[in-house]
Amino acid sequence: MTDSSRLDEALAAAPAAVSGAATLAELDAVEKALLGDTSAIGEARRSMGSLDPADRPRVGAQLNTATKEIQGLLASRLSELEAQDEDRRLQDERIDVTLESITLQSGSLHLLQQTMNDIVDIFVSLGYQVATGPEAELAWYNFDALNTPPTHPSRLESDTMYLDFGDPADEVLLRTHTSPVQARWMEANDPPVYIVVPGKTYRLDTVDATHLPVFHQIEGLAVDENITFSDLKGTLAHWAREFFGPKTKVRFRPHFFPFTEPSAELDVSCFACDGGEPTCRVCKGAGWLEMMGCGVVDPNVLEAVGYDPAEVSGFAFGMGVERPAMVRHGINSIRHFVDNDLRFLRQF
Amino acid sequence: MLVSLRWLSEFIDLPSNDPADLSGVLAMVGHGVEGYEAMEADWKGVVVGRVTAIAPHPDADKIRVCQVDTGQGPEQIICGAWNFDEGAYVPVAKPGAVLPGDFKIGQRTIRGVESNGMICSESELGLGDDQAGIMVLDGEPELGIEFAGLVELPDVVFDLDITPNRPDAMSMVGIARDLAAYYGITYSIPERALVTVPGATNIEVHIDDPVGCRRFVAHEIRNVTVGASPLAVRHRLAKAGVRPISNVVDVTNYVMLELGQPLHAFDAEKIVGNTLRIGRASEGETLVTLDDETRMLTPDDLIIYDADGPTSMAGTMGGLRSEVSATTTSVLMEAASWDPPTIMYMSRRHGLRSEASARFERGVDPNLADLASQRASAMVADLAGGEILEGHVDEIATPTEPVTIELALGEVKRLLGVEFSAEQVARILTSLEMSVAGTDPMSVTVPTFRPDVTRPADLVEEVARIHGYDKFPETLPLGVSGGLTVEQRTERKLHQVMVGLGLSQAVTLPFVGEDDLAALGRHDEVGSLLTVKNPLREEESRLRPTMLPSLLGALRYNISYGAASVALFETGRVYMTSPDPDDERIPHQPARLAWTIYGPFGVTGLRIDGLESDGNLSLAVVRNLIRSLGVEHVAIESGAAPGFHPGRTAAVSIDGSLVGHVGELHPSAGRAYEIPGRVAIAELDLAPLLVPPEDVLMKVPSVFPFVDFDLSFVLPDETTVAQLVAATSDAADDLLEGASVFDEFRGEGIGDGRRAIAIHFRLRSDDRTLSNEEVAPVRQAMIDAAASLGATLRGVA
Repeated sequence: MTDSSRLDEALAAAPAAVSGAATLAELDAVEKALLGDTSAIGEARRSMGSLDPADRPRVGAQLNTATKEIQGLLASRLSELEAQDEDRRLQDERIDVTLESITLQSGSLHLLQQTMNDIVDIFVSLGYQVATGPEAELAWYNFDALNTPPTHPSRLESDTMYLDFGDPADEVLLRTHTSPVQARWMEANDPPVYIVVPGKTYRLDTVDATHLPVFHQIEGLAVDENITFSDLKGTLAHWAREFFGPKTKVRFRPHFFPFTEPSAELDVSCFACDGGEPTCRVCKGAGWLEMMGCGVVDPNVLEAVGYDPAEVSGFAFGMGVERPAMVRHGINSIRHFVDNDLRFLRQF
Repeated sequence: MLVSLRWLSEFIDLPSNDPADLSGVLAMVGHGVEGYEAMEADWKGVVVGRVTAIAPHPDADKIRVCQVDTGQGPEQIICGAWNFDEGAYVPVAKPGAVLPGDFKIGQRTIRGVESNGMICSESELGLGDDQAGIMVLDGEPELGIEFAGLVELPDVVFDLDITPNRPDAMSMVGIARDLAAYYGITYSIPERALVTVPGATNIEVHIDDPVGCRRFVAHEIRNVTVGASPLAVRHRLAKAGVRPISNVVDVTNYVMLELGQPLHAFDAEKIVGNTLRIGRASEGETLVTLDDETRMLTPDDLIIYDADGPTSMAGTMGGLRSEVSATTTSVLMEAASWDPPTIMYMSRRHGLRSEASARFERGVDPNLADLASQRASAMVADLAGGEILEGHVDEIATPTEPVTIELALGEVKRLLGVEFSAEQVARILTSLEMSVAGTDPMSVTVPTFRPDVTRPADLVEEVARIHGYDKFPETLPLGVSGGLTVEQRTERKLHQVMVGLGLSQAVTLPFVGEDDLAALGRHDEVGSLLTVKNPLREEESRLRPTMLPSLLGALRYNISYGAASVALFETGRVYMTSPDPDDERIPHQPARLAWTIYGPFGVTGLRIDGLESDGNLSLAVVRNLIRSLGVEHVAIESGAAPGFHPGRTAAVSIDGSLVGHVGELHPSAGRAYEIPGRVAIAELDLAPLLVPPEDVLMKVPSVFPFVDFDLSFVLPDETTVAQLVAATSDAADDLLEGASVFDEFRGEGIGDGRRAIAIHFRLRSDDRTLSNEEVAPVRQAMIDAAASLGATLRGVA
């Protein structure tokens, strides 16, 4: 058998040998067997010196071709085996994605805060500013400036928490609504006024499922030239649709508040049943939910802060925060809001 | 106020009696319906019958055999009651009738005698608890008619929420008037003729307090017979939630419900000295009211006196000694006009709020008193007999005149946003019994029963109310310069940072207990807290000077329900007895940020325990917060505050002013709150954290290579790490890119009162590659700077 035929034979056997290597180590051995010193190619290389010089270029070229061919086979097998190897390693590293083996703690914003932010943002998008004010407040701002006479029942000690502070002539109390901020704002700013006032309010109340001595309100006030009752309706209807959904209907009923004239109660259609579902968990079949008191600002309120009620007019509204949050989320007791049980807080 | 639809229908012929429709209409005119009850007779087959004959039972002593005519000739019914005679009209349950409790009536044989039904008592019909026997009906009702009709069943009773500005609406007349205006129809008061006899009452009335009592009207009725009211009257009262008592007393309530004027009936013969005087009580006076309670009177109480002293509390409750009783024969029917606030305070002071006080505190029309006294007297005469004396009392201490308001038509459009014609406005106001003259401006005279209408805006409200709030368009005005302020935006960011760090926002009540302050070592503040003068409960009497008790309470609550890991923060106010710096009339009430963190915090998981909630964690939280908000000029130094761990607390200052403390709960406070283990706590003034940061100018990140090296120092305990880092950093000048402490060690080889601190430094120049030759002297300068603080290189003697 000639060298050349040995080479051909080796070359012919190479693909099977290379593809037969199942591991990187086997591939190493195959490489040695095909290209090493004792391989047909290795031996052929070594015997080059003994060839007729005239044959050397031809044989050399043959050898190079064969070597390149084998190297190509080896390289592609190598990358196959490496890919297999990586696949196996990645398989071995697999994790159970259903196991929460690391927890990055997260907190939650209080539901009342979220609700207040939601409500405030609706009015901010209508061009309102956000005003805040003191919670321990003068009776003057809480009542007198809001056209609530000294004999009004809401001023009774049975309803309002009075504080032991300062000059007894300047009675100080825990504000019973966010409305005193209206008066403070108007005292300090000329019209036009477009504000919303979120905050805590206080009333002497026995704690039960729907009452706490401390609760939250959002007050709104718009005072400008030619602000009308129709503007009040449009503004609160817009709010209701933004807050409860675009299909929400509103109903305004006459009511009485010392600080507005005309005054109204706003009902919104039940968001849970669209009205009239007798077993509805939210409205109990009434179809409507009482939401807030509102009205056209009483001229006495404008006068008390030095505005001219013949020049400007306005509307005001005041809504609770707890109640919409409770009806929306099916919260059965107002106490959950102040128990601060993480099992409650983190649901929202 | 409870309103029976059947009773109301005597005043107005409503276009719809559907209770749902009517609820909507009542709400639209301003009388909110809390609910309504559809009342049905609780029985079937009970008719009116007349007892035509009574005979003894042949075989029983206690029952009688009656012949009862229900319109189709006498039928035999056995009856065990003895309170009636032949000729009595009675309710009869005929065979086939069903009484309350599904009690079916059939033909029976009682001791051998057939009985075709049952004669019914009040309790058998579920109408009352009168055990005296069967019901004997008033008058001569038609035989065979449904008995239910006599007690006006079926009926619908509405529970109305009458607003405090509407004294007139607390009556059938008032509701009928508003409904008539809404529907554009008329209403009328049922006829009740006053027939008087010549002569005059000899009782004189003197009003000493013309503010407390504007008017006092009284008619005397002689020769009355006090007894029970007729069934129809009693059942109308019962539907209105008023307990029937006797015909005379029932009349006072009945007419009050009709007209809105509360009345009081005196036994005229028990008015000592035939004189009534109205004035304020003197300290120490007492009155036994008709509930047999002795009332201690105060000088604010408005009292009706006779010659023997107090005999009635004006508008609140009558006195026992002049009460109408079963033996009364002469009645003085009072209709007075009392000062609303006086009645409001007096009724609350004595715990005597009633249907009468509810009306008086709204302001009953003084010009209604005469009609009410006449109508009640006439009704007494109808029900209890007797004669009404023509000469009656009518003392007017303060006359009440109607007010006239000028209304410019433009005002209606300006406040409502809709144009109304003068005719429309006049029609609405006239329908409310106001009189209108002129067109623009129109002159509107308001009847005295509407004390709430005194200004143009009040008239505009009436126009809107009767026109219908639902008929106004919805228009949307826009503000001129809305948005959150920088501080408001920063506060929201602060909330988000805290939430992102893993804390949940709490909302707590702002009260504090003495125990809370004691637990935090702040007993000395107990006496100087802002307090509520009139708390409902002791625990709601003191306002907190610190947020910590509220949050520790919330923490304890969570632990008690099994929480192992709790992280809460709150932004809220604390209250001081010092005046507010911006308004000295009110208390200082700064907003604070506080937190409590307990149990494993941060990253947890398999073989990852989380961080310990200790002073270091509080420091990490505050540093993160400060970086996130961009707060500048912050100093964190060792500090102390009551309730905080003395060795694990930092004082936080901004711009040189102390803003609060962060650290760890004092172990003794932890024991007092029964919280096992460490608690990271903090309380900081909120406002300084919300100050907008100045604009940051960019520093270009260097592209040159860095040089890293570590230095380990041994330093005396009085030297802080902050001092060491500051000194070494200063020495490296602008070549220092970073310095981070990676180890702290105390113990063997270091020496008492000393610790080893290892710091990793990185130097880098902005404009060149640093050579070893350049770094070596800088490194030495840093070591020298540390030495000046008493820190030596570890391992170097």
